[in-house]
Order: sequence, then C-alpha cells, then structure tokens
Amino acid sequence: MQLLTIDHLAMQFGGLVAIKDLSMTVEAGTIHGVIGPNGAGKTTLFNAISGRHKVTKGRIRFKDKAINGLKPHKIVAQGLARTFQHVTLFKDFSVLKNMMVGRHLHSGYSYWGALINSAGTRRAEAENATRAREILDFVGLSAVADDDASSLPHGHQRALGIAIALASEPQLLMLDEPCAGMNSDETRTMIELIERIRQDGTSIMLIEHDMKVVMHLCDKITVLNFGTKIAEGTPQEILKNPLVHEAYLGTSANVA
Amino acid sequence: MTRKLTWLATSIVALLLPVLCGYDRFILHVAITITFNVALATSLWLIWTLGFISFAHAGFMGIGAYASALLLTKLGWPMWAGMWFGAMVAGAVAVLISMPLMRTRAVYFFMASWAVGEVIKRVFAYYRDFFGGWDGIFNIAPPKLLLFGLEIDFASRIAYYYLALIVCSLIVLAIARLNASRTGMIYWSIHQNETLAQHVGIDIFRHKVICFTVACVFAGLTGALYAHYHTYINPKSFDIWKSEFALVHVIVGGLSSIGGPVIGAISLTIVDELLRATGYFRVIFFGVILIATVLLLPGGLETIPGRLRRLMKARKEQGG
Repeated sequence: MQLLTIDHLAMQFGGLVAIKDLSMTVEAGTIHGVIGPNGAGKTTLFNAISGRHKVTKGRIRFKDKAINGLKPHKIVAQGLARTFQHVTLFKDFSVLKNMMVGRHLHSGYSYWGALINSAGTRRAEAENATRAREILDFVGLSAVADDDASSLPHGHQRALGIAIALASEPQLLMLDEPCAGMNSDETRTMIELIERIRQDGTSIMLIEHDMKVVMHLCDKITVLNFGTKIAEGTPQEILKNPLVHEAYLGTSANVA
Repeated sequence: MTRKLTWLATSIVALLLPVLCGYDRFILHVAITITFNVALATSLWLIWTLGFISFAHAGFMGIGAYASALLLTKLGWPMWAGMWFGAMVAGAVAVLISMPLMRTRAVYFFMASWAVGEVIKRVFAYYRDFFGGWDGIFNIAPPKLLLFGLEIDFASRIAYYYLALIVCSLIVLAIARLNASRTGMIYWSIHQNETLAQHVGIDIFRHKVICFTVACVFAGLTGALYAHYHTYINPKSFDIWKSEFALVHVIVGGLSSIGGPVIGAISLTIVDELLRATGYFRVIFFGVILIATVLLLPGGLETIPGRLRRLMKARKEQGG
C-alpha cells in the first residue's frame, strides 16, 4: 500500500530551486531512506511534506488525501510526524512534560475543559501520562523522565526528539538525521530503536549521512542530487548504481 | 509551602487592610491602585508566557475604560453593565488587532504593539465629540449596589477597595488556573520552541490570538474599574508609559511564575507612591530599579526566597 505519494514536487525560494520535479512513493511498513550530498534538498523535502515550507508546485498525498497547503499541526493530525536535524526539544521542561506536550493531539484539549479541570480532562491527562511513560520506556528514557530535557546527554536528547514525535502516534515518522553527532554506541542504540519503531507498525522516512546506518536499515532508498531524483531502489541496487557513485560518493570513490 | 503561606498572608493582609490602616484614605487609595496594577501586570505576564511583550496593553485597558465610561455618560448604564461591555469591546478589538499583530515576532512585535498602543491613545484624543479629546471624560460615577435592602455606595473608598480586590483576585486566579492547566503548558511550549509546538499538532496562531485576547479582556475589565474609581479619564491615562510601568512591574517581580507580576506590582506601586513627591524623578528611580534588578537580581523579586534558602544552606554547610 502506498502511504505517501509525491507528484512532480517543486520547491523554490526566490531564485533558488531546492527541488525540481520530484516524484516518489513511500510504501506502508517500510523504512525509506532519502540520501544525497549536502544541499541536495533532503531536508527541504521533509519541510515540504510536514508543511513547514509552502509547496511551490506539485502534489503530496498521504493515505490518499492531499496534504500540501495544510499547516504543520493539521498534517501531524493526519498521522505524519517528524523530527529535526538539530536537537529540537522544549528545553525548560522535564522529559515527561515534553512528552505531555507531544500528546497534545490525544489530550481531547479544550480551553474550557482545561480551565475548569473537568472530569474528562483529568481522565485524558491521566491516560496521556501513562502512554507518555510507555513511550519513554520504549525509547529507553524512563529512568530520566523527571530530569530537565536540557540536562540530558546528546544521545538521550535525540531519543527524546523521536519520543515526542512518537507521542502523536503517527503512521509515518520522518527522521531527519537521527544519528548526527553520535558516537558508535549511541548510533547502535539508535539503529535498534528505529528497527523497533518499524516493528511496532510505524513506517519511516529516513534522512541519514551515515551510510552504514542507511544500508543496514532501509528497504528502499531515494537518492537526490541538486533537487532531483537520480536513483531509487534497494540498498544493493543503489550501491551498484554508477550515477550514485558519480554524483553522491564522487567519481573516484571506492565503496566496499 | 513557603509559596502557599505567602499567598495566604497576602490574602489576609489584603482582606483586613482597611481595618489595619485605620480607614486611612490615602492608604486605601494606594491599595486600590495596587489592585489595578496587579491585574494589569498579571494579564501582561499572560502574554509573556507565549514569549511576547505587548506595549499595547494599557491601550486595551483604555478601551475598557472608555467603553464603560461612555455607556454610563451617554446611555446611563451603570458600571455593572459597563465593565463587562468594556471587557468585551477590548476583547473584540484584541481579536481583530492580534490577527495581523501575532504574525510578527520579537522586535517587530514590540514595535507593532507599540504603534497599536499609540494609535489607540490618538483615536481617543482625535475624535473629540465622541471621546472628549485630550480633555477626556468627566463624571464617571461609581456604581451603587442594593444588597438585602442595604444600599452600598461605591463612592466610598472602603467599598471600592473591596470591589477592586474581588475583581483583581478573580483575574489573578483565572490566569493562575489557566497557567497551571494544559493551556499554560501549550503557551510555554510555544514560548520555548514554536516550530516543535507546531509539529506536535498545536495550532500556534489560534493560541496566540486567544491568549492575547484573554489578556486584553482582563485589561479592559481593569480599565473599567479604573475609570469608575477615578471618575475621570483622558487618553494620557492609558499611554505607553502605563504599559511600560506594567512591564517594569513584571520584570522586577519576576517572569517565570505568576507570583512575579503580583509581587512586582505591589512593591513598585508602593515605591511609586512614596516617590510621588519627587515628581518626574520617579521615572529615573524606576529606571534605576529596573537596571539594578536585571544586574543584581536576575529573575526578579520572586527568586529571593530561593536565594535566601540557598544562602542559609551554604552557611550551615560552612559552619558544620
């Protein structure tokens, strides 16, 4: 089943063309990698899908519903969550409170209910707290639930970023370089976490520079260069593709 | 614990104040001014929980004041109707203005809100036939209330003090409640990271408009009370200075919790009244107090108990 379909997408900022005429699909239940050299348009693609940037041209469909033109909060509500390239948290909040904000869509929130602290609000918030702790447990952060988000080590902050995205219970999770700046231990933990997220039934779109991570995790890979798709296929196909070698890895690169 | 005790003590002193001061007219006047300033500073702080500082706040207080005053002087409606009407008019204007205003950020928001505050004042001054121009509106009678056959005339300062205290307390309580609920959590999350807040499903623009509007409704309500207390208002009562003083109250008191604007407004209004004799110099004093707070007591007056506790602990450890 096609979860996400992108048709002839173009993204332009003034005179700068970040993406031109990109079409691709993401199948449900897969991990779909998006790779390419710096400036290829990977993050721009995520920004377009998540509604952060306005789409210049083309169509984005999620579960057979057009989502381009929607505001980010509407797109999350469709079941499409994302993380960010740089660690993005509510730094002054505790880890658990970060998760509670992440549960916003499931809080049955209304101004009035929150103000009078109605029975419905209390019930929903109790459920949210339970679910938030379950997700923290899932990503391995339950021990630091009451710590300040800003006091966590880098690997934990990354995991919390993913946990916040998971808190909205998405069907498709877009991870923007989850392993950036990690040591090999942290990277291994992250790979294992991403695999478990997929096993739990969440499809994943993954931008990553670490080739070992990409080749190990992805079912399918799309390669971008200068805003266009130059190759697509399984990791093995991508490794053999001469165009990819030339554009992405460099002509003289020696890839094992 | 300390926090609850402080709130309790403040409430008791506030309730018994007329007796404690021997019904002194001047002290009652200062106390009433304090309730206005507390309500204004606290509602300004509500906008701060979103991460914005509005210089238009006194302007919205003015809208509430003018609306209630005009309803009385032109149509003869008492303040009981006027104060809600004033609050609603302030809210309606706030909705309209915050739509474009809340699309700006940081320094652009300061400037835009500054302009809004200035425009509101100028509108009052310009339409002389309706708003009375720079001369303002006179004879805004305080209300009367018939309670169990007993007539209470709020021209009495004691009666007006209790009225103002009740309204001010309700405003502070409502904002405290809002801040402690998920709404407050949403506001602070927008304050910290707008992008992430948006990407967990929060409609940040809607929240910004509602937060700004709620704060302005409270400011309008305060304005109505102000008008019927002073019985005279003019555009200058609600100029940028008033917003700035409220901002100084919030900063000196502390920005991180609702105790900040309350303690800031109480203490600085007292200082202000003590300095009244110095005339224009009091503005300089306020500047000095503001700079001294930022340099010597970052976090404001609300951090003093915590600082003292840490100091005592350090002392004890040194001694032991």
